[in-house]
Amino acid sequence: MLDLRSVIGDEDISSAEGIERACATITQKEKEVNERLEAILSRQCQIESKLSGISRSMSTLHSVENDTKSLADRISQTAALAESVSAKVRRLDEARSRVSECQQRVHDLIDLQLCSQGVMTAIREEDYEKGAAHVSRYLSMDQNLLQRTADDVTGSVTSVSKALQTLEEATTKMREIISQKFDEAVRKDDLASVERFFKIFPLLGMHKDGIAKFSSYICQKLEVKAQKELRTSMDVAKAEKRMAVAFADTLTSLLENFARVFKVNQPIIESCYGTGYLLNMYEILQVECDKEVRNLILEFNKNRQIAKRVAQINEYMKSDGGVTLGHFRKPSGGSVDKLNPKDIDSLIGEITIMHSRAELYFRFMKRRVVADLEGSSLEDEDKKAKLSRSENIITKCDLSRQMQELLGTYLLLERYFMEESVLKAIALDTFEQGQQCSSMVDDVFFIIRKSIRRSTSTQSMNGICAVINNAASCFEGDFINALKGPLKNGYPSGYIDLAQAYNAIQSSIQQGKLQTSDAEQARTNFIVQLNNADMSTEFIETLWATMSEEIRGAFANMTQRESEILESCMSGLKGVKDSLKAVVDFGMQQLKSSAIKPRLNPWVDQFLTYNHRLTEEELAAYEAGETFAQFLIVQIDGLLNSFKSVLSPRNYDALVSILATEVTSRLERAIKKSTFNRLGGLVLDQEVRALGTYLTGATSWSVRDKMARLTQIATLLNLEKVSELSEYWNPNENNDMPAWRITPNEVRSILILREDFRIEDIKRVKI
Amino acid sequence: MEDYKFLFKVVLVGNAGVGKTCLVRRFTQGLFPPGQGATIGVDFMIKTVEVEGEKIKLQIWDTAGQERFRSITQSYYRSAHALILVYDISCQPTFDCLPDWLREIQEYANSKVLKILVGNKTDRDDREIPTQIGEEFAKQHDMYFLETSAKEAENVERLFYEIAAELIEQARSKEPISQHSRSTADSIGLSSLGSKANYLSQSGCCSSLSSHST
Repeated sequence: MLDLRSVIGDEDISSAEGIERACATITQKEKEVNERLEAILSRQCQIESKLSGISRSMSTLHSVENDTKSLADRISQTAALAESVSAKVRRLDEARSRVSECQQRVHDLIDLQLCSQGVMTAIREEDYEKGAAHVSRYLSMDQNLLQRTADDVTGSVTSVSKALQTLEEATTKMREIISQKFDEAVRKDDLASVERFFKIFPLLGMHKDGIAKFSSYICQKLEVKAQKELRTSMDVAKAEKRMAVAFADTLTSLLENFARVFKVNQPIIESCYGTGYLLNMYEILQVECDKEVRNLILEFNKNRQIAKRVAQINEYMKSDGGVTLGHFRKPSGGSVDKLNPKDIDSLIGEITIMHSRAELYFRFMKRRVVADLEGSSLEDEDKKAKLSRSENIITKCDLSRQMQELLGTYLLLERYFMEESVLKAIALDTFEQGQQCSSMVDDVFFIIRKSIRRSTSTQSMNGICAVINNAASCFEGDFINALKGPLKNGYPSGYIDLAQAYNAIQSSIQQGKLQTSDAEQARTNFIVQLNNADMSTEFIETLWATMSEEIRGAFANMTQRESEILESCMSGLKGVKDSLKAVVDFGMQQLKSSAIKPRLNPWVDQFLTYNHRLTEEELAAYEAGETFAQFLIVQIDGLLNSFKSVLSPRNYDALVSILATEVTSRLERAIKKSTFNRLGGLVLDQEVRALGTYLTGATSWSVRDKMARLTQIATLLNLEKVSELSEYWNPNENNDMPAWRITPNEVRSILILREDFRIEDIKRVKI
Repeated sequence: MEDYKFLFKVVLVGNAGVGKTCLVRRFTQGLFPPGQGATIGVDFMIKTVEVEGEKIKLQIWDTAGQERFRSITQSYYRSAHALILVYDISCQPTFDCLPDWLREIQEYANSKVLKILVGNKTDRDDREIPTQIGEEFAKQHDMYFLETSAKEAENVERLFYEIAAELIEQARSKEPISQHSRSTADSIGLSSLGSKANYLSQSGCCSSLSSHST
């Protein structure tokens, strides 16, 4: 419905214009409406055809509905039918299972009858396998059920309960007989029978008893074997060359015997007893193993005089007034009857073998037991408890304890061996001509490497780490002290002329004779120890790297924790490098104060005696003769040459560096005490250049940096006139020139040294 | 590279069963595992603590108390920055052994090592060693003193934090210059720590810790 109001809107229809406008609007609207109506009409036939289509399909739909209904009916019918069928099937199934259960019970009963008849015959006929098979069959039946069956049928068929009774009796009897027979076989040492009855135990439900009895039988055998071996190997070994490792050999074969028995019987146990029983056997075997090892260790301690030696070492260490850090024991002397480290060398080797064998044994046993438990059908909780029990057996068993004690002994002996051998190497230190280092560096590093390497063969991470710690102590203590000792006294500047002294050192070194004089010997010693310390910094790095690699190679399956502990201990060893560097630095300072400074200063001070205000004639004369630079270079060259062949390359470089610093600072001071004219400045510049060239050539690295200040001072004094400075002045680094190391104030005070420069000019110069 | 400024090695020693492992576990993992088996050889744990805004890595070495491991444990004394000597306040023999332990420390450790005496198991009501006795013993031997309970977590944090604080102070007073040069994470070696003397002020050494504990 068109609302007229809404069409005409708020047109004012009171006026003609308004009416006209409204009319126009209405006409417009009318037109629109007509158009829409026409459009709708045009669609009429379309809609009509669709409607007729729909009415046609309606009839078809009716039949579909009917069909659907009948289908639904049938489905529900079928479902009801199926349900009733399946209920029947279920009942049928139930009945069937009951029948089969019943059958099973009947079978059981028949078997029971058979068994009860058979078992007695078997026992009588001593066919224990058969008897045990009967019993096993009986035991595999549900005992409660059997009892109930017996109760059910009681009265009518008494034979069931009778059979039960018979079987129960037979079981007890069989158990008794088999135990008895087994014991008898053990007594007779009849291995075949032992194995025969051993296999019967699980049939009688006596798994644990079987394992226990069999294990104790094995233990008995092993005990005899071990004792015999211990005796014979002691006798035999004494005469043979394996004497040194006789106990290690015995322990090896002892542990191997246990491991072998374990390995051989594992399949039998697993097939007859099932998995999960290995632990029981291991538990019993370990007790025996502990006992045998204890005997062996007892014999070992007695034979190898362990207690005495340990006491001796402890006594000796205490007699030193305590091995306080940095305390340098005298290698020889002392009234204490002390052990020769060489004597215990082979003993230490033997102990490491013994320890490693035990470690291997534990690993073997643990692997087997754990694998057996993991593969068993035990409940998770039970399995866990058994696994922790096996872990417990290994950590708490006497063998572990014995080995821990042995490792303690090893560490004491190894430490003594290492410290004493190092002291000996230091005491026997010799110096070969043409060498820069003496024998002790090689020797000490050899000894310590040997000790660390030997520790890895104990197979014990705790042992290795302790030896590494001890090695670091040994370096930091005795070794560093030995290096530092001669350095502390300083480089002796002797009573003879120093130039001669250097020559004397050289010649004495060349001749390999060191008997000339105390001072010379001290000098050589000083230089050699300085070189030793330098060389050691390199060696310690190498030792650290190779040992890390070797240990990691030997222990492929380290835990994260073990790896961290090892890392920490190894870094302690690496830390020795810093101490060694400190020794080198200390030695260098000593060399500087006692050898460089006293020699160098007079030479440089010669500068002051030269005239630096030269006329042309004087310059010509000066250049014709020996210039200061030539003089200084010859002297320095002599000094350096005396050291070049004896110092290690790194030490020599350090020496040149120290010398360069000394020369430049001393010369700078001498320059500041002199006055120059133009030609004097020219000569100075030439001389500084010559000195720079010489020092650069003397060493493998650049001394340009050290010469920078001096070069710049010479440049200043070589200026034509003050104003030229601006061409050179360059406080900041750039590509062409190094930055000025001289402050503006210093520049002024240096320029003043040129007597021909006027103070006003210098003051005026812009810098 | 881990972010820490100092690394200190702290070694715990003392008789078997006084609770060394439990102290370490309590501090590093916040656990008190009952029925702890005996430690074999040595074990170590790391904990980074923050003291005065500095990250400190504490490497805590837990040693076996049993006699037969002595050879192993002795080798760790030298590199220790601090040694914690533990006894059980409810077990007189563990206290009686202290002089033996001190002899060991004297023999193997750096003479300037920081020593702390700890009476553990304050949770037990069968105390045999009065606090005062422990305190006096510590005073006599230039040691700090503290009583702890690993079970109740009493004083455990404080023990290690105070050690860290003390060690930082020592390191600072030793190397005022090199502190800047060592800005990269690096351990301050023991040698540098202990070589110069007098960081352990003789008079006040016992006071700072023990005064709180009473």
